[in-house]
Amino acid sequence: MRPAVLLLLLVGFGNCLLAQTPSETNGKAVFDKWCAPCHGAVAPKNVMFGNGALAGTSALAVKYKGKLPAVLEQRTDLTPVMIKRVVRYGLFGMPITRKTEVSDAELEDVVAYLTRNRKK
Amino acid sequence: MVLPPNVSEADFHAALGEFRSAVGAAWVFSSDEDVALYRDSYSINWGEPDERVASAAVAPAKVEEVQQIVRTANRYRIPLYPISTGRNLTYGGSAPNMRGSVVVDLKRMNRILEVDEKRAFALVEPGVSYFDLYNYIRERNLKLMLDVPDPGWGSPMGNSLDHGAGYTMSAFRDHFGSHCGMEVVAPDGEVIRTGMGAVPNSDTWQDFRYGAGPNVDGLFAQSNFGIVTKMGFWLMPMPEAFLSGTVTAPRHQDLDALVYEVSYLEDLGLTGMPQYASPVGRSAVGPGAAAMATLMQNGWPSAEAVENFVAAQKLPAWSVQLYFYGPDETVHANWQAAKRRIGKAIAGAKFQDGEFLTLPIPKEKELTQSDKPRLGIPALEVFNMVARNAGNANDPPDGHADLFVTIPRKASALFESAHVLFEAYKELGLPAQQNPFPTPFTYYSRCFWTGTTVPTWRDPAKNARSRALFEKVMNRCAEHGWVGYRTNPAFQDLLISKYSFNNHSLLRFQEKLKDAVDPNGIISPGRYGIWPPNMRKHHA
Repeated sequence: MRPAVLLLLLVGFGNCLLAQTPSETNGKAVFDKWCAPCHGAVAPKNVMFGNGALAGTSALAVKYKGKLPAVLEQRTDLTPVMIKRVVRYGLFGMPITRKTEVSDAELEDVVAYLTRNRKK
Repeated sequence: MVLPPNVSEADFHAALGEFRSAVGAAWVFSSDEDVALYRDSYSINWGEPDERVASAAVAPAKVEEVQQIVRTANRYRIPLYPISTGRNLTYGGSAPNMRGSVVVDLKRMNRILEVDEKRAFALVEPGVSYFDLYNYIRERNLKLMLDVPDPGWGSPMGNSLDHGAGYTMSAFRDHFGSHCGMEVVAPDGEVIRTGMGAVPNSDTWQDFRYGAGPNVDGLFAQSNFGIVTKMGFWLMPMPEAFLSGTVTAPRHQDLDALVYEVSYLEDLGLTGMPQYASPVGRSAVGPGAAAMATLMQNGWPSAEAVENFVAAQKLPAWSVQLYFYGPDETVHANWQAAKRRIGKAIAGAKFQDGEFLTLPIPKEKELTQSDKPRLGIPALEVFNMVARNAGNANDPPDGHADLFVTIPRKASALFESAHVLFEAYKELGLPAQQNPFPTPFTYYSRCFWTGTTVPTWRDPAKNARSRALFEKVMNRCAEHGWVGYRTNPAFQDLLISKYSFNNHSLLRFQEKLKDAVDPNGIISPGRYGIWPPNMRKHHA
């Protein structure tokens, strides 16, 4: 086998491995872009008009009443199935997220990020 | 699997094959699981036979692919429904206008093609969101401010094409009104550029909207005459400062003068979008609830009863927040002028200085900044009003459908419309939410919008009640000439039926145009009441 062909195969194999390994780092970037505007930890202060609370974090605070963290990034009980289900199909006011917005690979990264501290 | 109307399964699969050749197999979605991602999350017909679900979706990355999709659709008579970011929630989301359409998902066309700081414009593709454009401007430290709607995940193009609006100065709040130049794939697949974009080598496509001859841009908003693939927008130069101030007026009858004075300031370009409120009305959802219930117990109260009620509450009847944008000197001067004029016009008016900010907001303070859309910062905080909250903790809705109607910019119209809505709720046996302290939406500076928000559910019985309420309110308001500017696809035929002057001559003209430019009726059949001939309903 010629060296150039071998190199291409190795690069391809490496990409394949990378593609199969969800990235917590990228998961955080995807979370920050797509999830944090509703599920972030930092809410506005000194609201001039309206309600400045973050919709997702605020809704979970009402739902769990302190039994679970309202901030998703602080949760240790989220499962991959639960995360994928809610992202893809929505829940109450949270809408469906399409694959042209968050790809399946990016969703795996988000799962890796949100389950990084999961209790086994 | 849902098929497009009047299309055989063989033709549908042949069309899907051509779509795959055009955009790549990975970007044609036809499995049940993938097509389900194109349901309207806030559908008011969820799970019912007339829910507007897609047959498939195709996601092109460039204009040439859009052209190929359109040509294929013509060959097989496939109805297409383009979406930009697909986040037009309450107005259909990413679902098509007609069941069985193929959604053309333009999210992958997400290039910011140009932002000119000195000439203050942007040229973008459909999949660019307000967040994307904001980040682009911020990262380059360009001295430009966006005007954003409440949901920052929307598309400048999509929002303007559905006549969406924002919060800053009136020239920029009207998002369609502040566009300049379009590129459109016509229903025959040809690419059109409007205004100065039609002049080869012109460098003023985003500077002068009209060019020469008939301006056709309006045909591509809330309609089905083509697929818009590029659009320019005028942006506001970043003001040096922002200042807010609150005015209160003591009596119910003061609203007339308050509206006049605030409108005067706004029409001169001295203030941004005014935010009206009623301290007395707001109290009715808290400590003043019992008193308000007493006021309303025998129906709509007289003006004298309302005025006596206000006096007893010891709260101002009205407040309005004003927002000033500009140099440090002028924002303060404009606020001083507002105080002088309103103080002279309304006895007992009071004034409170609000927040003063130097712009742009430092990056590290963005997250904690309140009322972000007032400062051109995209956010999603508005969804807290419809998500699970203290008021609906045990039964949060799955979505909502907004019904806003256009009324004259005057207090009497606002009071009259609140009364009409009150009676409509009563007719359905629902607890009326309205009282004599309505406050208008002021997105478009020359009129008021008023209306109601109806919850939507993934429960057909609950949705049936929401639809009945929606139609009741729409019909009652239309009797007074108050009609919506935009609506959920489930109600677009009903809405357009209200624009009926001279036996629906406006719609009939639009249909003639539709038949001429889209003879196969492939682009968004039924959008805002414009159907192809074989699906057209009687107008009367």
